[in-house]
Amino acid sequence: MKWSQFFNTSIGKKLLVGATGLFLCSFVIVHLTGNLTLLKDDGGEAFNIYAAFMSHNPFIQFLAWGLKIIILLHAIIALQLTFRNRAARPVKYAINPGNQTSSWFSRQMAIMGSILLIFILIHLKDFWYVMHYGELRPVTYEGKEYKDLYYAVYEAFKVLWVVVLYVIGMIGLSFHLVHGFKSAFQTFGLNHVKYNGLINFVGVWLFGILIPIAFAIIPVFIYFKSI
Amino acid sequence: MEHYNMNLTLKVWRQKNADAQGKFETYPVSGISSEMSFLEMFDVLNERLINEGKEPIAFDHDCREGICGACSMHINGRAHGPWAGTTTCQLHMRAFKDGDTLTVEPWRAGSFPVVKDLTVDRGAFDRIIEAGGYVSVNTGNAQDANNILIPKDDADAAFAAAACIGCGACVAACKNSSAMLFVSAKVSQLALLPQGQPEKKSRALNMIAQMDKEGFGSCTNTGACEAECPKEISLTNIARLNREYISAGMTYEK
Repeated sequence: MKWSQFFNTSIGKKLLVGATGLFLCSFVIVHLTGNLTLLKDDGGEAFNIYAAFMSHNPFIQFLAWGLKIIILLHAIIALQLTFRNRAARPVKYAINPGNQTSSWFSRQMAIMGSILLIFILIHLKDFWYVMHYGELRPVTYEGKEYKDLYYAVYEAFKVLWVVVLYVIGMIGLSFHLVHGFKSAFQTFGLNHVKYNGLINFVGVWLFGILIPIAFAIIPVFIYFKSI
Repeated sequence: MEHYNMNLTLKVWRQKNADAQGKFETYPVSGISSEMSFLEMFDVLNERLINEGKEPIAFDHDCREGICGACSMHINGRAHGPWAGTTTCQLHMRAFKDGDTLTVEPWRAGSFPVVKDLTVDRGAFDRIIEAGGYVSVNTGNAQDANNILIPKDDADAAFAAAACIGCGACVAACKNSSAMLFVSAKVSQLALLPQGQPEKKSRALNMIAQMDKEGFGSCTNTGACEAECPKEISLTNIARLNREYISAGMTYEK
């Protein structure tokens, strides 16, 4: 079997969605760790130095472009599968079982993923674009000049609807990962009573609850600090 | 359990043939015993329709003891009705109460076209089996017991997978009309046993290729199939099918 065939079946495509999804889960942890420096009461020094490192280190730059490709790959293949899945039932049921046979989260993956994709595009425009191609006021730490992204973030989150948008994005992340994390393991064939409990726990509590809340705290905290 | 009679309103999908436009028709039924099976209730209704000179409702049934997998009815949004681990023929009217309205639809999937009323064509499953769900050896006489050693756990898991009756409830219950639970059961029952090893790789790849070709959706691990399966086939089989696919796809040279 050729590799092109291997990744072109329904299972092959799901393996790609699962693998890219788990990679994105690991990215979410890294991104959160960096972002939490925004909450540090140091006028933005830690965050601005971190942001400068992330946008200049060549290895990180390579990863960052890879990340964007992986997000696109994850979204495109998942949407392709979703449309195919919808087409597999041309005549719909008059009555659906709802939550009687499956969890609500497991049925909303495409919707939550789409919310997340739109959020990511807005988020890239808000901060990644201005950091790389926009105008930011300079700030100096120990004689070295940095772009003051911290200031831009604090300005952005003074606006209530921006904060609401970011919280909605994080609800999308939460609902997507409650099912998505453990689902990827099942797709890889990793289903065993000895580990299922742990996989479920990490998926629901770490990726589904703790991480989205920690992300969402940042805009909410900044908003309340500004009023 | 105490016996009681009930009056019900049935909303049943009527469709003349595969090409015709179908629609729901409403039938009031009265004096239905709580001891009847769901299919016997349909027998009562059909007898009345025949006496009235009307076309009886077509539905598939064969064994009426829960092992043939023919009775493909979606009842009030549930494959084979509200009880877990049962086919429609094993669903008894005591699952319902007097005055209930029951909506009965055929399996809905592009790969299971409606033949007439509640009867669907599940030939797609047969074609998946033909693609590799067998062992190509002459069985000959029965061998001595324990000639081939099989761990008890493996034998039990293979037997549990082999309980699949190919009824299609997994496809009917899945929001994606995915046949993964069926295919995984049919691959697992052979993959777990020594006799299934020689054709292990080609079997998994060919059956999955046929499954895709038939137009079934992909699995999003919602678990609806496992919840509705009358033989309670486990999702662990789908994980095994995924493992079979990965190991075969990465090493099969053809």
